[in-house]
Amino acid sequence: MRTRALRSLRVKLLLVDLLTTLAALTVALGAMVAYDLRAYHRNWINDMTTQAQLLGSTVAPALSFDDPALATENLSFLRSRAKVRAAAVYNARGGLFATWSSEHWNRAFPSLPGEEGAHVEGRNLVVFKRIIEHGEILGTVYLCADYELYSRVADYSVIALLVALAAMLVAFLTSSRLQQIVSDPVLAIRKVAREVIDTRDYSRRARKASDDEVGELVEAFNAMLTEIERRTGELEASNRRLATEIQERTRSEEEIARLNQELESRVRTRTAELESANRELEAFCSSVSHDLRAPLRAVDGFSQVLEQEYAAALPQEARRYLARIRGGTLRMAHLIEDLLNLSRVSRVTLERRQVDLATIATEVVDELRGGEPHRVVDISIWDGMMGYGDPRLLRAALENLISNAWKFTSRTEQARIEIGVLRDNAQTTYFVRDNGAGFDMAHCDKLFGAFQRLHSVREFPGTGVGLATVRRIVERHGGRIWADARVGKGAVFFFTLAVADGDSASDAAQGPVKSVA
Amino acid sequence: MAALRLLIASLLSVLLAGIWQSGLAVEDLTEAEYRIKAAFLYKFGDYVQWPQSAFASPSGTFQIGVIGADTLADQLEQIVAGHTMADHPVIVRKLKAGEALNGLHLVFIGRSQGAKLTPLLDTLRGRPVLTVTESDSDTAGVINFVVVDDKVRFDVLLPTAEEDSLKISARLLTVARRVIKGGS
Repeated sequence: MRTRALRSLRVKLLLVDLLTTLAALTVALGAMVAYDLRAYHRNWINDMTTQAQLLGSTVAPALSFDDPALATENLSFLRSRAKVRAAAVYNARGGLFATWSSEHWNRAFPSLPGEEGAHVEGRNLVVFKRIIEHGEILGTVYLCADYELYSRVADYSVIALLVALAAMLVAFLTSSRLQQIVSDPVLAIRKVAREVIDTRDYSRRARKASDDEVGELVEAFNAMLTEIERRTGELEASNRRLATEIQERTRSEEEIARLNQELESRVRTRTAELESANRELEAFCSSVSHDLRAPLRAVDGFSQVLEQEYAAALPQEARRYLARIRGGTLRMAHLIEDLLNLSRVSRVTLERRQVDLATIATEVVDELRGGEPHRVVDISIWDGMMGYGDPRLLRAALENLISNAWKFTSRTEQARIEIGVLRDNAQTTYFVRDNGAGFDMAHCDKLFGAFQRLHSVREFPGTGVGLATVRRIVERHGGRIWADARVGKGAVFFFTLAVADGDSASDAAQGPVKSVA
Repeated sequence: MAALRLLIASLLSVLLAGIWQSGLAVEDLTEAEYRIKAAFLYKFGDYVQWPQSAFASPSGTFQIGVIGADTLADQLEQIVAGHTMADHPVIVRKLKAGEALNGLHLVFIGRSQGAKLTPLLDTLRGRPVLTVTESDSDTAGVINFVVVDDKVRFDVLLPTAEEDSLKISARLLTVARRVIKGGS
């Protein structure tokens, strides 16, 4: 490829030179030959016409004085003119007067003289010239000479061919040397360009050898290389920067990932630790509760025995102390019971199903009425409150909420408790409302914590664990619990449950139905 | 055709010369011969140059005198009619021996003059007059007709021409049978 391209440019230059030479030669030779042939034609006609005229003048006396021999003698001088083949003289009446011809002339003389003038007949030039002396036509001269235009054309063709060959040879020799002046710088540029492409070494430069266009090309090429070199350098620097940035970014991402992983594992560890701690705490709580029961039962049992068996023997004051001991043990038993419940709520496995909360609420209310039959409370339970959850835990939650309402309405005239459900688009919210003591909303954040009480035990008895238990139950069902209250005006507790697929809780709840007066 | 007729005429003239002075054949012979000679006479005008003094004026006439050859004179008159000689209008005069020869430029003396030829020539010598005779002598007129091989030819006597201030064209000399030069 290299040598072919190398040869290509040179061959093209050479061809251009040779073709130019050939064209110039063709035009020049053609013009010369055409001019020469034209000149030959004219000169030869002029020459022969003059010859005829001279001849006429010479033979005029012979014609005038009727001397054919003299005329023939005159004509025979044409021997010295090699190109003249034949000549004749006609007298005034058109008769052949005298003739002469060279040895190789085999044509016949025209029987009558033709029109005056010269004309070409094939390879002969024929001239007729009138002989006029003192205004009288004495006769006509006939001349027949070689007309060598065609052989001259042939000769010139051979000469032109030879000249052209010689000129082309000279042009080839000079051109093949001279074209290097043009082609070498170009080929040098090409070589550098090829090396730049092959090696990607943009620091190479072509050598400027001349001040012509090729020199300008070299300068432009070098300027281009400089520009490319500069840009390549910039690009590489930019690439290096980018690579560094990417590396750093990757490193920091890895760091973040590592930290995240560490964090997660720490969270896992902590969670596990917390769970373990919780379990231990609950286990502790449970075992403590169980373990506390036995001595408590002993205290209660022996106090009871003391009260029943030795009541008579004890002074009044001792009996009162015994009663207080028994009250304390009872409260403690309740507390332990609630703590066990709370702990159980956290540990048991949920067994969810559709539960009719209205039925549960009715049962709870019935139990409460059974416990305090003298209380008159207006309790309304909405019909068809279906919920999806564990029946035992939901009963525990409702027990807590309804018994709270029952408890905090104990000092209210015309006590009223309502258990119902509110529905908006997707959310079903259950509520338990009373018109009891209520509480200050400023303390509502403490409401659902264990052992948090807003009222004194003396005002309303309780352990302070109930609402914590309810919250734990609701949260285990994926729901939420909150409250609204005003002191002396009552309280409302709202809670939601996670909705099960195909929940039909809304089926029958149409409005409040007073079940018991 | 002319040559053939001339040939026949010449043969007849040779056979009958001196025997019959008159007769149709002789008459024909003379007429043909004189027609040629008359033509020659006219054409001599193209090859001979007369001195300027020979003519009275540039528009003067060229006078030809014919002595002892009326036939020729008649022929010549026909030939020169409407033509010029040496750029002058031509007049042909039939002369007899003894008549004045003034104003002539060309004089033809027929062979009928015989012995009178020499005195006539003497009279004309030294004047710019082209004398033409039918004598074979080397001392006759400037131009002398001869018949050779049945053809009319002529001799030119250059000394005489020179004496008469006449310039004879070299081209005429090429056609002449003999050219007699000075000193010979």
